Amino acid sequence: MATEVIKKVPASARVPVIQPMVYKSVVTVYRIFAILTLYIVLAGVVSYGFVMGFYALNTSWAAPVILSPADDKSLDFTEKLVTSRQTLEDLNVDKNRLEGGVAEMNKHKASLLALEPELQTAIVREKQHDQATGPELLALDKQKQADNLKTQAVMAQIKEVEATIEKDLAAGLITKGDAATQRAALNQAQSSYTDSKIGEVMLTDNILEKTTTDTKSIDVLDKQAELISEIAQLDITISVAQKQIYEETKQITRLKEALATAKMTPYYLSVSGQTSVYFAFVPYDNQSNVSAGTAVYDCYLNMLLCKKVGAVKQIFGGEEHAPHPIFKTDIRGFLIQMQLDHPESAKSKTVFLNRKPLFF
Amino acid sequence: MAPVLVWLILFLCLLISIFKYTLALILKWSVPAAKIKKDFTYQPTVSVLMPCFNEGKTVYETIESISKSNYPSDRFEVIAQDDCSVDDSYEWMLKAQRDFANIKITLGRNALNSGKARSVCNALQHSTADMIISIDSDCIFHPDAIRELAACFSEPKIGSVGGRVGVRNPNENVITTIQTFIYYAAFQLYKVPENWTRSVGCISGCLFAIRRELLLEIEPKIRSRHWFGIPVNQGEDRFLTHQTLLRGYGTYINNDALCWTTVPSTLPDLFKQQLRWKRSIIRDLFYTLRTLPRHVWTLHPNTVLTLVLTPLGAILGLLVILTVLSGDPMALAGPGPLIGYLCIAAVLSLVIRKYSAKEAINNPLAFGAYLGWSLVSSLFLTTLALCTLDSRDWGTRVKQQEVSDGDGSHQKSAG
Repeated sequence: MATEVIKKVPASARVPVIQPMVYKSVVTVYRIFAILTLYIVLAGVVSYGFVMGFYALNTSWAAPVILSPADDKSLDFTEKLVTSRQTLEDLNVDKNRLEGGVAEMNKHKASLLALEPELQTAIVREKQHDQATGPELLALDKQKQADNLKTQAVMAQIKEVEATIEKDLAAGLITKGDAATQRAALNQAQSSYTDSKIGEVMLTDNILEKTTTDTKSIDVLDKQAELISEIAQLDITISVAQKQIYEETKQITRLKEALATAKMTPYYLSVSGQTSVYFAFVPYDNQSNVSAGTAVYDCYLNMLLCKKVGAVKQIFGGEEHAPHPIFKTDIRGFLIQMQLDHPESAKSKTVFLNRKPLFF
Repeated sequence: MAPVLVWLILFLCLLISIFKYTLALILKWSVPAAKIKKDFTYQPTVSVLMPCFNEGKTVYETIESISKSNYPSDRFEVIAQDDCSVDDSYEWMLKAQRDFANIKITLGRNALNSGKARSVCNALQHSTADMIISIDSDCIFHPDAIRELAACFSEPKIGSVGGRVGVRNPNENVITTIQTFIYYAAFQLYKVPENWTRSVGCISGCLFAIRRELLLEIEPKIRSRHWFGIPVNQGEDRFLTHQTLLRGYGTYINNDALCWTTVPSTLPDLFKQQLRWKRSIIRDLFYTLRTLPRHVWTLHPNTVLTLVLTPLGAILGLLVILTVLSGDPMALAGPGPLIGYLCIAAVLSLVIRKYSAKEAINNPLAFGAYLGWSLVSSLFLTTLALCTLDSRDWGTRVKQQEVSDGDGSHQKSAG
């Protein structure tokens, strides 16, 4: 076994030493830059970890929210508000119309109800009259028929009388004038007989009307049925209208309640054009630190050198969802209204309620 | 605009990675040309160069595994170069020299701790072989490793060939399990499309074969590597591969040439190793960008994309993680990435169990921890690597003792 020394590395293969000053300067600048970078990274990592831990443990933060009338929720709220108001107005108009209609129908019904017994009385009265006059007419009719039979027998002798008149005239027993007078008397008797027959027929008709149910009676009954039906229909229409009025009244009440509730939301305050209204989102985990009048603090770098900037003015009840200002996860909570002495604090990422988070 | 550009480049890197893995599967299963034609009758003389620093008894085991190679013993030699170890590594090398007399073993010692790259160059001074294989002194080699590597050089345009590095301690703990997955996927999938175009971007220094004349041509560049006057002694494997490609030669990974390494099992060791690799990647990226026109004209587009986009993606990953952490910190805490990693682990675990039983994973769920490591890697390793490009510290070895004289080395041989 032998040990030997390897030749020195060829000069051409050595690290070139050109521009050593340039290299040294570059390396120095690089090292300064690298050290600064590494310290910045280190500070960043420590700060990041601290911020994460701080917001994981802190229970007094709230995230200011600037509600713009143009943002989606406000626009949605405005749209619903306008729709509700319009619906309320429509319902009021409709309810008034229905109530007017019901009053008119009640009047009409009253008039119909008043007409109905009069009609009934007239029918009864007429029936009673017919019951009374019917038999009388029947007796008269029989008498008339007997009279006519007698007249008919007399009228059968008219030819003979006329022949006798002609014979007497021809015999000169009577004058022409007498003959004419006699003939006229005969014609009159004939005509009276005819009238008597007509009277008999008409009397028979009249008796029929009085003793049986005729078409006129049916017409009257029909009218009576129509009247009763019309009253019943009016009852139904009035009942439906009243139910509708009842429902609309309930709906109007609910809408009024909803509008009253809406006026208690931050969105109403936002869209109603009130200036200097500031809100903040508070997660449920931080609820214990919130009450009306609680102090609001704003801090530099979201946690340091805090100062009091206002107080909690109002707490809204509705649940809201918002992203966590640091973790960006969706969290549940509610909105509060803040009375801020420093309006610029409304633009901070977070504010703190009740106390300074780090006691300074 | 800038964030859009960052996301765009990152998306492109991701897309290329997905494309590469998909292409790898297709090539692996259905394109014979993706594999090199091996000629086992081609048996050049081989020098196995083994730089060593503070490896202790492992160096003995490494030489022992090489001595069992299925390669004509008269056609290969081992040149072990001690880089001023402060432990008993050299004694173990001497013992190996005595015990494995069936092969020629030459021992050398640097007069000054010089780093792995220069130790390889020093060892090269004593080689006359046609083919040089540079190895890590903490690896165990398969008996067919040399034979497999040599057979690939029958293709005249092949300049460098690497072997597959397996993990000796896959189930030691979560850290080694994660690395087992990564190593396996890297060699069996990620590098397959590069193999297809004979343009592997980085051949592992654990098992690196190169033509002698090519190494001699590159050697001065290795020795003169510096970063603004500060000698660079890290990432010689990436540098050698890169230089091979720039000289118009092909590079290839022969997955049948196996060696086994003990991967770091503690976070500090892993951190230091990965930091060293990250520095090499960044240096290589800067070199590539500085000479981009030459790369575009000389290299296969696949190689240029690999050389540029892979490290660029790693650097941009830092910006992406920072953006996510500052914008939506909990986005990374969702189950999506974890489920994704566990799915990959499940598939890879089955594949490894079937095709590489020695590396079979006992607990595939451990790969879920890679999520945490990738965060650490993207956030801190990249930053630290960018800020310590002037470092010469190897990281995973005990610091060398002060050696006052010389730039040369001492040599001791037997055979």
